[in-house]
Formats: sequence, structure tokens, C-alpha cells
Amino acid sequence: MTRYLIRRLGQSVLTVFLTLSTVFVLVRMAPGDPAAALAGPNPSSADLARIREQFGLDRGLLSQYGLFLRDLFTGDLGTSYSFHAPALDVVLDRVPYTITLSLSAITLTALVAVPLGVWMARRADTKRELGANVLTIAGQSMPDFWIGVMLLTLFAVAVPVLPASGFTTWGGLVLPTVTVAILQMALISRLVRREMVAALAAPYVTVARSRGVSNRVLTWRYAMGNSAIPVLTALGTRFAAMLNGVVVVEVVFGWPGVGSLVVRALETRDYPLIQATVLVTAALAVLVQLLIDLAYPLLDPRVRLGKAA
Amino acid sequence: MRGPHRCPGPGAISLGLNRSLVSLDNKLNQFDAAVTVQRAVRQALTRIGKGLRPELVLADRFEMTGPTAWTVRLRDGARYSDGTPVTVKDVSTALMMYAGVNGSFIVGLFPEMPTVEPVDERTFRLHTKRPVPILDQLMANILISPAARNRPEELSGGVGSGPYVVTSANSGTGEYTLDVNPRYWGRRPTVDRVRVRFVPEESSRVVAVRSGELDVIDTITPDSAEQLKGLPGVRLDRTSGTRVNQLFFNFRKPRGHPLADARVREALSYAIDGEALVRDVLTGSAQQAEGVIPLALKGSVRTGRYVHDPGQARKRLAALGASDLKVKIIWESGEFPADTSVMEAVLEMLRAVGVRASLQQFEPGGDIQQWRQGRRGDWDVLGNGFSVPTGHASTSLQGMYGGTAEKEKTRDTYQGYVFPKIAARLADASAETDEKTRNTKLAAVQQQIWDTRPCLWAFVPDVVLARRTRVRDVRLLQLNSYDLAAVRLEG
Repeated sequence: MTRYLIRRLGQSVLTVFLTLSTVFVLVRMAPGDPAAALAGPNPSSADLARIREQFGLDRGLLSQYGLFLRDLFTGDLGTSYSFHAPALDVVLDRVPYTITLSLSAITLTALVAVPLGVWMARRADTKRELGANVLTIAGQSMPDFWIGVMLLTLFAVAVPVLPASGFTTWGGLVLPTVTVAILQMALISRLVRREMVAALAAPYVTVARSRGVSNRVLTWRYAMGNSAIPVLTALGTRFAAMLNGVVVVEVVFGWPGVGSLVVRALETRDYPLIQATVLVTAALAVLVQLLIDLAYPLLDPRVRLGKAA
Repeated sequence: MRGPHRCPGPGAISLGLNRSLVSLDNKLNQFDAAVTVQRAVRQALTRIGKGLRPELVLADRFEMTGPTAWTVRLRDGARYSDGTPVTVKDVSTALMMYAGVNGSFIVGLFPEMPTVEPVDERTFRLHTKRPVPILDQLMANILISPAARNRPEELSGGVGSGPYVVTSANSGTGEYTLDVNPRYWGRRPTVDRVRVRFVPEESSRVVAVRSGELDVIDTITPDSAEQLKGLPGVRLDRTSGTRVNQLFFNFRKPRGHPLADARVREALSYAIDGEALVRDVLTGSAQQAEGVIPLALKGSVRTGRYVHDPGQARKRLAALGASDLKVKIIWESGEFPADTSVMEAVLEMLRAVGVRASLQQFEPGGDIQQWRQGRRGDWDVLGNGFSVPTGHASTSLQGMYGGTAEKEKTRDTYQGYVFPKIAARLADASAETDEKTRNTKLAAVQQQIWDTRPCLWAFVPDVVLARRTRVRDVRLLQLNSYDLAAVRLEG
């Protein structure tokens, strides 16, 4: 187990490092000039040259990368061009907002999607299940910005009971959470349904049923137990994806999280901020993945991490 | 019905900005809406007020006492929120710090930075090498901070001489709370608390002001203004602006190229139906330009009108041997409201007179700067905007039309616009200390610029702000700013 953990941590660090290095190169290959984005209207060539020199943008790619690595190992990810503050601090300021939204959305997703998926599995191929299926497909097909704008129009304008944007009160969490969760619910409930249908048709369930085990126990203990790993994996993956920034939803609802920060960083070609965002979100994503892996043996005693790995 | 959780509360006002207020200093971070908030915390010697006239703020005297010298006296009792007085040293330090910061465009507005000569505790002289007759307007952009705390960077601390102090700040999220400065030297504002929020998405700002969550949103696009017009509880404030949006010709065309000929440029402009663009695309939120700079600017004059006459365009282009012209139009996305729709309409208008046009749009932060400098390839017309926070014609004219051969060596002219005689006359007019003579000279040179036909078309967008009706006395200025201390709340 300890060896497994050490190896997984090593892999995680390598993953984050490679991601960061790839992003470092890609953002510099993309069109655009951070100096021009920074310099305000109608800058002179001298202004641009001065800014490039100040931020080391006048150096070659390899030289920039070397400096980046040197600073990275001292925990310095540079100063954000647009915020004039340490890039890592700017990102860390935003992370709690994204974690709050993601946790809230994934919790709502699990609370609705898992029972819904089970309900659909138990009524597989009936007209009622067909209706639920149509709803989940619709939910999966609607773009998040459209759902967001509809919810805003309904609950912030027509019946103004919830804040339209930002996170000044807890009420501000409701609409973005629901928007993110609707898409995830559709996905997860269909997955739960598929897994449960397969599990409920498995021989061990048939045997248990013949022994007189109740439907409730069959569903929630026997079948759900076997379906838990793929469902947990899917929930974890979705959660990790949300931590990378629910960009559209954050922009629509003025949510001060990492997603809206990424948009701004990209618009201004703020290299240090882009890199800091990638570092933090990639680290969070691999951490979530690691936690999910560690949870597997708890859900399925046949899984032995040390040996399996 | 309005949910109580969303109301900013009695005595508090909530502002929604379209761009993040990164700092309450403005050395680098200067955009219209930010200045409204920044000036509530930090002040300058002067400000640009109603009618774009300079008004005294931290100075109670600011007058030209020689061709290259101004005498300034600090207001008696002007002090910072920490109780310390505003001093002459603070002014000289502020000038040094603005000059020392990289990437500031405030400094670019000054023909030269003045030096400070102290006279007594409150009085000093500002000296320049050449006359700078609008120095009182230029100095409105230099916010003063205590010398000991000033740095050549944006200041994160909130010590200032303004009517408000910062009680909470998160520059990362762009959210600030300002409370009344109990030590303010001037009249106490009636609004106790100002909440500033960054709401980047325009539709979200519109929804928030409709629902009462935000009290004031600014920089409204024509579409949003249409949505908000006539809604109960919401009022639109509108005034003529000081920004000009232009379809500016590329003046780096080689001799012999059709677009190097002012007559061809003029002929092309006949193809553009500016009235239709203003009416249908910009939904009446702009005026066609009638000069080379906005008429709201002090010292500007009418020099001509854009006339739509496609028959004339065809005839003249044919006479000039430019009937089969191809035109490439470039612009940065979001350069002005409804930019894409304007460009697409222009393309059709040019096509209607036989000119084949193509469009190339750049995302913000992309390569537009290199294209402007002619380093990325050829183009013919650039969608561009130019605004100046001094409110004076000469700043705008020099910025756009004061190009010289020396500047062009580094491609620092405005789209290659280099007319040595015009540049010389502009420099002469801008340094003229007698206002009447200066205005006469400026008028003459504006006509001369118009005759070079620099733009395919140009328009001046209105400045529009939306507010809840409980917010009163928002005296929206042409610079797209207002005095927060003068705002009142009802309810």
C-alpha cells in the first residue's frame, strides 16, 4: 500500500509537470502578444519592448523555460501581468469558489442522479422509464449557457428569488449549482441505470432473489455494491473536470472561480497566470483521482491496491 | 417583488463593472468605470468635469503663470484617510512613479512630464520645456498618494484623499467595499457604503440591474440599452462620448496604390450608408462623426460629413481607375459595440459599388498590434477606436495625426499617418498658450486632416449607463465616469 501510494504520488507529480510543460510551450506558440495586451491603447514600440524585457518575453523559448523551471522549484510561478500580483496567489484566491461550486454540484448530482438511475433500472423498458430517458437525454443535450440563462431569466428576473451573479450570499450558489448539476445528472443517471440493469440481471442477484431477499436489499446492497466503482469513478472524473473550471457557468453567473479566471488569463495572454491555473487545477484533478483509487478497496474488497498496481 | 437578500440595503450602493478592478491605483489599470471608483479613493489635483472643463480638486489654484510654468497651490486642509496632509512632495513623487511604471499609457498623453519646483509648504510650480497649455487637464489623470508609500507599480494599499476608504478588497475577484472616509476633507458623501463587483458577462449585468441586485452598470451596449429601455425601476443615462470609432485607412500604401490617393479614399467613403449603420446596427446609440475627432472634445470643430451616395462612389472610382478595388478590413473583436455587424454591413455596402471586401477579425490579446504596425501583412482598413481622458482635442489629434517620419521608423505612427506639415502645425497649435489662437490653429489643422480623408467612416458612440431609479444624481460625464461622492440614494 505504501509503495503504491509513493508510486502514485510520483506519477501524479510527473503528470502535473508534463501538463505544465506542455502548456508552457503551447501558450507561447499561440498567436498573440502579452505586451500588446498589457500596454493599453496605442503603445509605442519602446513601450512594448520595455514590457517584454520586464517580463522576460524578449528571451528565447528555452531560456524562458529554464527560468520557469528554476522559479518553479522555489515555488515561484511568476507575477501575473494583469493582476500585478503573484500568479499563484491570484489562483489560490479563486480555488475555494470553484471547489465550493464543484462540491455543491457533485453532491446535488449524486443525490438526484443515483436514485433516478436506480429507479430507471428497476423500470427498464417501461413507458415511465422511456419518459425519464427522454428527460435525461434532453438534459444532456442542452448547452450549459442556455440552461444558465433560462434559470437566470426564471429565478432572477421573472420571479426574482435568487441572486443573478456572484457569491455575495449563499443564495448565489443555487443557480450555478443547478446549472452544472443538470448536465451531470443526465450523464450519471444514465450510467447508473446501465450498470444497475446489468447488475440486476447477474446470476448472484437471481440466486439471492430465489432465496427470498427483498427487492430493496437486492437493489441497494447487492446490485449497487457492484455498480459503485464505475459510478464513483464517473462522479470523481466529473468532479475533477469541474475543478478545472466550469468556465461557461462561471462566466454566465459571474462566479469568481478558476474558470472565469482562465478566460481572463487567456484573453490577456497572461502566461504566469495560465501556468499557475494549470498547476493548481491539474494538481487538484490528480489528487481527486488518487482519492478515488484509494476508495476502491473500501467499495470492493477484491481490489488490493498494492498487488493490483 | 424584490428579494431582500439581493437589495444592497439602505445607504449602500452596488456597482457592477464590466472589467475587473485590479487596483485602486490607476498607474496601469485605467478604464472608464475604474476611474469612477479609483477617484473615490485617490484624487488628483484636478478633474475633468461637466462640459469637459477642468475643475479643482486637491489644488485650489492651478494657473498658467508663464509659457512653460504653472503655479499650483494645494487646498488647505486636504489630507489623506490616515490623517496626514497632502504635500508638494507627494505630487512630485506621483509624477515620478507614473513615469517610472512600465506600460502606462497615462504618460503617453503628456507631451512631456512636468517637473515640480516647491515654492512654499502648499505652493509649487510645474515646469515644462515647451508650453503644455492643457497641463491642468492632463494632471487630472495623475492620482496622488503619500510619497513615502508610492511605488512605480500599482499600489495595493488604499490610503487616499478621497471621500471613501477601502474596507475590504479582493483584487483577484475584483470585489471591493468602500465606506465613507471619516476624515474626508470635503463634503461628506450621502451614500455610506459602495460595493463594487466585477460582472464580466453583459447579460448577467443586465439581469442583475433588472432584478435590483446591482444599482449601476456602465458601458452599456446598444443591445442591452434596448432591453433595459422603459423597464420599471431602471433608468438609462446617456451623453455624447469622447471616443471616436473609425474605419481607418492604411497609410502605409506605396505611392501609386489606389488607396494612397485621397480622392480614392473619399470616393470609397461615399459607399457607406452611415445613417443606416447608426439607425439599424447601432440602434441610435451613436452619431456619425462630423470631424476627425469627437465634437464633444474641447477645441474640436466640424470639418465635414460622411455622405452616402453609391452612384457617386461608382462614378468617382471609375474616373480614378479604381473600379476593381479589393479591400481587406481588419479589427479586434469587441473594439466597439456591434463590431461584427458593422463590418459585415460595410462589406455589403462596398460590394454594392463594385468593391470586393474581405474581413479579418482578431481575438482580444491577439496579433492586432503587429498588424497595425504592418508587421504581419497587408491590409487596407482597420476598425479602431481612440479615446482620451483629458477631454481636449489636442491630445486626440496628436495621438492620431501627429505622426512623424522618425516615429514611423519604429512603426509608432497611427496606421502610418505621416504628414509632416500637419504634424508641425499640430505641434505648433498644441503649444500655443493663447486659447483663442490655439483653437483657431487647431480648427485649421483639423480641416487639413479631414481633407486627407483618413477614414472610410467614423462614428462617436454615446456613453450609456443604466441605474436603478433609487440611485439619484449620477451625473454621467462625457468621459464615461461620474463622481461617486455626489450620488444620492432613495430607499
